[in-house]
Amino acid sequence: MAEWNAYYQNEDEDEEQEEGEQSGGDYKVTGRDSLVFLVDASKEMFIKGEDGEPSNFDMTMQVVRSVYTSKIISSHRDLVALVFYGTEQSKNPRNSFKYVYVYHDLDEPGAKRVQEVDALRGEKGARLAAETMGSGETSLGDALWCCANLYSDIKLRLSHKRLMIFTCRDEPHRGDSAKDRQARTKASDLKETGVIIDLMHLMKPGGFDVAPFFRDIVSQPEDESELGLHLEPCDKLEDLQKRVRAKEQKKRAMARLNLCLGEGINVAVGIYATAVTARKPAAIRLYRETNEPVRSKTRTFHMQTGSLLLPSEIKKAQTYGKKQIVMERDEVDSIKKFQDPGLYLIGFKPMEKLKTHHHIRPAVFLYPEEGEVKGSACLFSALLMKCSERNVFALCRCVSRRNYPPRFVALVPQREEVDEGKVQFTPPGFNVIYLPYADDLRTLDPPQCPSASQIQVDKMKEIVSKLRFKYRSEAFENPVIQQHYRNLEALALDMMAPEDTEDLIMPKVDQINHRLGPLAEEFKDLVYPAGYNPESKSVAKRKTAIVGGVAEKKPKAEVPEDELRAHVQNGTLGKLTVPVLKEACKQFGVRTTGTKKQELIDALTTRLTDTV
Amino acid sequence: SSALVLCMDVGFSMSNSAPGEEPPFELAKKVIQKFVQRQVFAENKDELALVLFGTDSTKNPLDRDGQYQNITVHRHLMIPDFELLEEIENQVHPESQQADWMDALVVCMDLLQTETKGKKFDRLNVALLTDLSTQANQDHLDVIIENLKQAGITLQFFLPFPAEDDEEGGGDSDRRGPGHPGTGKGLSREQKESLDLVKHVMLSLDEEDGLDQVYTFRDAIEQLCMFKRIERRPMAWPCQLTIGSCLSIRIVGYKAVTEERLKKMWVTVDAQSNQKEDVKRETVYCLDDDNETEVKKDDTIQGFRYGSDIVPFSKVDQDQMKYKHDGKCFAVLGFTKQNLVRRHQFMGSQVVKMFAPKDDEHAGVALSALIRALDELQMVAIVRYAYDRRSNPQVGAAFPCVKQDYECLMYVQLPFMEDLRQFTFPSLENNKKLSPSDTQLSAVDSLIDSMMLVQKDDDDADQKDIFKVHHIPNPAFQRHFQCLHHRAVNPGTPLPPMEPWLKAALERPDVISERCQAPLEEIKRKFPLIEVEKKKKLKTSAQIFGKDAEEPDAKKAKGDEEEDYNLADIAEGSVTSVGSVDPARDFRTLIKLKSLPFGEVCQQLTHRIEQLLSNKNTHYYMKSITCIQAFREQSVKLGNADLYNSYLQSLKRSIPNRRLEVFWDLLVQDAITLISKDEVEGSTVSKNEANQFLVVEEKKEEAAVPSAEDTGDVDDLLDMM
Repeated sequence: MAEWNAYYQNEDEDEEQEEGEQSGGDYKVTGRDSLVFLVDASKEMFIKGEDGEPSNFDMTMQVVRSVYTSKIISSHRDLVALVFYGTEQSKNPRNSFKYVYVYHDLDEPGAKRVQEVDALRGEKGARLAAETMGSGETSLGDALWCCANLYSDIKLRLSHKRLMIFTCRDEPHRGDSAKDRQARTKASDLKETGVIIDLMHLMKPGGFDVAPFFRDIVSQPEDESELGLHLEPCDKLEDLQKRVRAKEQKKRAMARLNLCLGEGINVAVGIYATAVTARKPAAIRLYRETNEPVRSKTRTFHMQTGSLLLPSEIKKAQTYGKKQIVMERDEVDSIKKFQDPGLYLIGFKPMEKLKTHHHIRPAVFLYPEEGEVKGSACLFSALLMKCSERNVFALCRCVSRRNYPPRFVALVPQREEVDEGKVQFTPPGFNVIYLPYADDLRTLDPPQCPSASQIQVDKMKEIVSKLRFKYRSEAFENPVIQQHYRNLEALALDMMAPEDTEDLIMPKVDQINHRLGPLAEEFKDLVYPAGYNPESKSVAKRKTAIVGGVAEKKPKAEVPEDELRAHVQNGTLGKLTVPVLKEACKQFGVRTTGTKKQELIDALTTRLTDTV
Repeated sequence: SSALVLCMDVGFSMSNSAPGEEPPFELAKKVIQKFVQRQVFAENKDELALVLFGTDSTKNPLDRDGQYQNITVHRHLMIPDFELLEEIENQVHPESQQADWMDALVVCMDLLQTETKGKKFDRLNVALLTDLSTQANQDHLDVIIENLKQAGITLQFFLPFPAEDDEEGGGDSDRRGPGHPGTGKGLSREQKESLDLVKHVMLSLDEEDGLDQVYTFRDAIEQLCMFKRIERRPMAWPCQLTIGSCLSIRIVGYKAVTEERLKKMWVTVDAQSNQKEDVKRETVYCLDDDNETEVKKDDTIQGFRYGSDIVPFSKVDQDQMKYKHDGKCFAVLGFTKQNLVRRHQFMGSQVVKMFAPKDDEHAGVALSALIRALDELQMVAIVRYAYDRRSNPQVGAAFPCVKQDYECLMYVQLPFMEDLRQFTFPSLENNKKLSPSDTQLSAVDSLIDSMMLVQKDDDDADQKDIFKVHHIPNPAFQRHFQCLHHRAVNPGTPLPPMEPWLKAALERPDVISERCQAPLEEIKRKFPLIEVEKKKKLKTSAQIFGKDAEEPDAKKAKGDEEEDYNLADIAEGSVTSVGSVDPARDFRTLIKLKSLPFGEVCQQLTHRIEQLLSNKNTHYYMKSITCIQAFREQSVKLGNADLYNSYLQSLKRSIPNRRLEVFWDLLVQDAITLISKDEVEGSTVSKNEANQFLVVEEKKEEAAVPSAEDTGDVDDLLDMM
């Protein structure tokens, strides 16, 4: 019995996973993603820019570090390696390659690795690099070969393999055609095994020419249309970070569905989650003695007989109107089934019919899957162009998974946008906005208030203009998550105290006050009468409430037994307040685990009907 | 909450009906049933009483001196439950007397007045369902009306015919159509007189709209078929909007839009007793070793993953070191252009509307100034929002909202940097191969024209939206309650099909369907869509379940060996029968131990396999396959093929009936077939037959399952390839 093997795990998930909850969650994929940073360590990489700009090497290390930490937070199971080429020293598994230094082999990044990359940053880092690795001759072919070995040494199944070359030298072998040829051969070997090779070329005096050598090294873009090679080299950290970011995560469809326009007109589309709420990961339980992780198993067994219950031996129930209604487990599932998964076009509406406040879930993104249905991209593209041109959205019924009830969604067209460097910052496709049903809108009773006069509005406009800024969605880090990881980092690395985090969503009060100057007072004079203080008022109110509360603290909320029984009989227990119900539970010695009202009511009802 | 008396006429005239029509009694009963159902599932605090009149017996508090006869208070004021529904179903029948509906109304009023004493109700209401066939005593009419007014009791009438005649109803008459029997002219003298009386009463209670509260049975049934939408009382969230430290405005927030969930969850009960108390769930912790050694919860501590490291981090430490903040807050970080906050970047699951407090005019003016300033500048406030000290702070946008009768700020959460995934996708427009031609584009144009759900009227003033999603009740809830209700009332019968109106509400409107026929045909012609034939990829079950995907090969090989030579297990003698945890291993062990006859061990194993297969779930399939593999391997080892072969053959025969095609497909892909003569001498199966055994089935299976449409899992599979 002790070994009862988590038979019920699936069932648990079913129960907890309320419909719709999953949206945005990653689709389960087996195999790991992997990423190798292959970094040029030649002397040229260490040359500092004018006015103390960081060297290319320094910049690269910063990017590598940020990828490491972001992997730790968002996808710790991905494998990352850091390899230098053009070094004087060599260090690789069988030490069969000269001038190649494997700093980190393919593995999950951890705290120690982050520290080790940190050590290579800045002035000190350059010195350390010179001491440990030095700069020597270059053989990119050997470096690529070494990387190929890294991949093949891995016993895990890899689902996505990417290699990024960071260099500022467009002719690494200075015209040595034998070495060039060897590098090309090795590159094509790698590509054949499914490794995608990207070039992150960095600024050098005289410009970086991709054509003569690297064109044959890097992977061809997936299809002609992709903006494959960035012809402009990076000279800014921000740029490089953006480029690496865009490539570093494998985009993966949450689901592939048909967008059905009508009988027999099915466009294959993939659904992608472009924004998913990042949460603090769940804690794992460790065995106190050894700090090894333990597994949890949930078992369901019969109270009286103590025997384990098979799935077929349990049913599901809900109670309404004092009656328990019982269903089979598969019936509970079947109730949720309306149609097979897919998107079904209902019609079109002008964009102004999409209300800002009709928001219930983060949006997802739609892009055609030419590989499933040929012709999808063309029809999709035509729809996208026309919807965008006519400023309309498509209204669809959407069943995202099997046994999920339908939701209606607005497909909002989004045209592609690229920046000056030809880097895409808005991809082409439809944003899928989930729309609320009648049940999701709550009826409010807005207070009747006088409107502000134009003078008052104008004064506020001045204030607003003083505090204008350009909002960028990636500008705010989540202080809760950042703090959590700093704490873990400190513990993992035995640091004295965690690194400080800056709370970016804290208002910069001093700056705001300074910018506003007298405006705040002027506005207050316009809208508030003398002596009105919005802060003190609510505080004062609360104070009196506390004083009053203490003075005339109500006697314990107790209800006579017969009254309680009458409530149970009439099903009117719900009229009592939670404290009263709790008190009643105590009174009858009913032990409740829950604190929810319904749970208290259920517990009391069971108790009091039993004893009648 | 409200108190309501349902007052239904069960007298003999209610059973009269023209041939082929449902008698008014049945219709009235349906109205009551539907209404009570809704009340039961809405679980609010409304109380309900049921008064019948025209009953053979008399049972009411006013029964004295031969007055108020044939009127029965069937149920006193209380919260409705299934008992009441069952009573209506089984105990409310047509009876043979007639009673004065005015008397019945008086009984209801009396009931409301006596039984609501000491309780608070927002609304008192009497609903009368009758055919008005009895002459009503008008002696105390004025007193009754006066009493109704004083007590604040409202009235509703439900009749078999419409209150307004064709002449009076004017244009409305078409709407009623032929569906309503007994309109106007077929009424008896008593009915006509009573109807006038009803109108008189209703108009004296409400001069203008009094007649709106007179319904026909059929209209009522139609309107009541929908279950009530889930309603929750909005909770006020008082706070201060701050701009710097010098300027603050008092505000109150209310959740305005959020994805509503059902209030109740399913509880697990024992299948036999239907008692949840009989089922106990327990979570245990065990080490990840061969014996799955259990450890006590107290012997475990908390830890977190930091990349490849696991960091022990106790709850106490965590609480001490975690991010802390000052609690409730709505602080402006700055202002930005509305178009920089993209709609698709809205996060979270709700929209909160911020108003000024009800009693604070000054806050109202200050907030109004901000709302209007933002509205005129087309800007939004970017704010830090924290619900309270315990909850995590958010960054979000406060949009101005200026409506005719109110103004507010609407708060929506925005993403953090950690939430965003920067994906790039291949360009669509710059790709010559993909870009649509002009004729293709114009086909899409006319499709959009034909499928516009918002129609402009001729005057261009009014736009009519014919498909408002936010007016549709959540179909999942409707279906849920429909099924619950069905099961409660008709236990033991299968669940009903979906209600037709619900199905229709989710479909494309008929007007659109008709209009878009031709443009859709055009699209079909202009845009060839060809489903890409996927080479049937051979998937082994292990690949499908990704069992080995995360494990190094070396470890796996080691594991296999261990399975064979785990002497510790054998020495312990712990295995006495084929258990359900690892039946394949138990099976091998038992065979090695030879403590039981081969036949019996096989029987135990097949029993387990059958048990596993009764759960149509891939995990169980996987386990079954390992069992069958073990069965085969041991049978070959021992040179006894009969038991295995006959089991596999019978399993194959049962596949269609048990709908185990998916499982069989896996078996085929793992090439687990019969044991042939080549392997075991005693086998009666030739090698060819063994191969054929799977091949034939594969073809059949392909024919039986047309293009696998269950996208759910298949998508997973394709992703893995």
